[in-house]
Amino acid sequence: MRRAIRGGDETAPPRQNGVPGGKGDGRAAERGDAAAAGADDDEAGCSPAEMQDEDNDPARRREIRSKYRDLINSVQQNREDMLSPTNNKLTDVLEEANKLFAEVRQAREAALDAQLLVLATDLGKEKASQLHAEGSAFDPSAFAEHLLSFMGLNRLEDEDEEEEGGGVSSGYLPQDAWQRVATRAQCCFRTAPSFHYMMGSFLAELPPPRQRVERQRKVPGREAKRIMPTQLRRMEESHQEATEKEVERILGYLQGYFNDDPTSPISYYEFVIDPTSFSRSVENIFHTSFLVRDGVARMYLDHDKLPCIAPVEEGEVEAGGTSSRQQCVISISPKSWKSLHTT
Amino acid sequence: MSQRKRASNTQSSQNKGVRSQRWEAVLGDDEDDPSFTQPSTSQVQKGLDRLTPAQVDLKTAEVVQFIFVKDQKKFPIRRADIVKHVVKEYRNIYPEIIKRVGCVFETVFGLKLVEIDSKNHVYILINKLEQLEGESLNMSPSNPKTGLLFVILSIVFMKGGVVKESMVWNTLKKLRVDQGERHEIFGDVKKVVTDEFVRQRYLEYVRIPHTEPLEFEFRWGQRADMEVSKVKLLEFIGQLHEQDPQSWTQQYREATAPPAAPAVVTSANTSASVSQR
Repeated sequence: MRRAIRGGDETAPPRQNGVPGGKGDGRAAERGDAAAAGADDDEAGCSPAEMQDEDNDPARRREIRSKYRDLINSVQQNREDMLSPTNNKLTDVLEEANKLFAEVRQAREAALDAQLLVLATDLGKEKASQLHAEGSAFDPSAFAEHLLSFMGLNRLEDEDEEEEGGGVSSGYLPQDAWQRVATRAQCCFRTAPSFHYMMGSFLAELPPPRQRVERQRKVPGREAKRIMPTQLRRMEESHQEATEKEVERILGYLQGYFNDDPTSPISYYEFVIDPTSFSRSVENIFHTSFLVRDGVARMYLDHDKLPCIAPVEEGEVEAGGTSSRQQCVISISPKSWKSLHTT
Repeated sequence: MSQRKRASNTQSSQNKGVRSQRWEAVLGDDEDDPSFTQPSTSQVQKGLDRLTPAQVDLKTAEVVQFIFVKDQKKFPIRRADIVKHVVKEYRNIYPEIIKRVGCVFETVFGLKLVEIDSKNHVYILINKLEQLEGESLNMSPSNPKTGLLFVILSIVFMKGGVVKESMVWNTLKKLRVDQGERHEIFGDVKKVVTDEFVRQRYLEYVRIPHTEPLEFEFRWGQRADMEVSKVKLLEFIGQLHEQDPQSWTQQYREATAPPAAPAVVTSANTSASVSQR
């Protein structure tokens, strides 16, 4: 068949009449090669004249090509329709193509035939995949309908008209429709959580102060706000107060006990240990140490070498603390705490 | 391969001692990988000996933080970026660093660092733990794009793993999502689906050869393969259709098949892969 296409073919000049100019054919030759190889090879050169004439009839060739193009178009346009398992349209198309193919003589028509074949087989494959013998088929349209219901679609009451093929369900879809799907679908994904800072991301500098602004004392609220991570400022203050209050309270107790019985020494451990709570005991030791540091209480060892604590007399409190300072470290662990409060 | 040629270059420069300036001269632009050759185990050991444990730990922590920030958008992280921006002069001990990074992610955060492309050396972070139904990961409302992604992944999965893009768009149209119009939630849907999801490796958007006019098909991407539980997907679909998930026998079989081993960055496999390179 290639010989028929090449321009300077000396064995079949009459055939050239029927074949239009080269450019279309070059491409057709490549695509049609495989198909053309099967077509009438024995026609090359020496066939009876009558048969040549009929085959060369350009009108006939055009007719065949146009029929092929019609078939191709119909397959492309009605794809969805042909896919439906309820009809045999695809088979009809193939039969039509078969009939046409009997009259194909040249590569150009054969190329169209090949194109049709590609489309048809593609469709055939799709149809076959629908026919999975086991398990139920999956219909994306039905899937879409179910999804819409899940999303909370409010279908309108009066839906008289038939939905067009592939038409859209009418109704009102709520705002959070996709949100609902996402929330439910979320658990199918093992996504790593996205990283973000907990309390804001950066400290921006105050914009440079503008001199032209009023010189009066500005209310703090009018200053440009700093973008800062939420500062835990207030927490600290309360913490500060709490300590001082506690220390005062402890001092109160100490003085109280002392006043009750000024002569008998107050055992340190008896003072600070809370039999019910270890952490409380530690707090007490902590607060008592402030008293000692500030010079309002003093610790000493009694004749049994056990530590005792007593408030410093009013007159003895020395400003500036010129008395000799001594330091000691007291440690306590839950075990020793237990043994202490049981004795 | 150009990698081997480079190896001989860097080897000789390495033997002169860790001279990062020399390396900068030899290695060109590290946009693509040939500039970074995986050092051998002996080189790694030598490198480690020169550094204090504290330095190595600090570098490890920096890489962990870098990966976290890079992962926010869910685009894969390239090894070249890690080396260029964080590891820098420590690149001779890169395999050791990345191994430790993988361990940190697993043991401290419960996440997996997976190399999804061993040719281009690209990593993603996924969660080791399953998410329970009803609980959200970080207490914030879920991103509606997850819903969109779910729909597409479901269609592809239920249709055997490959689907022509026309089928996806037709189905989405029924859900009021049209690639031609601007969607009020998703915006430019076509871009989200064919660009964002593809870059995040949730989907693959592949050209079908020999089609005229040009047609594309969708497949699951590498991130989807790792992150998505097909069983859970099928459960939700079954719930929607009010059908038993097992009624789709083929898909059910695929969903319950044992998963292929991912290239997770752990001590088990990085040492092996180093010697192979």
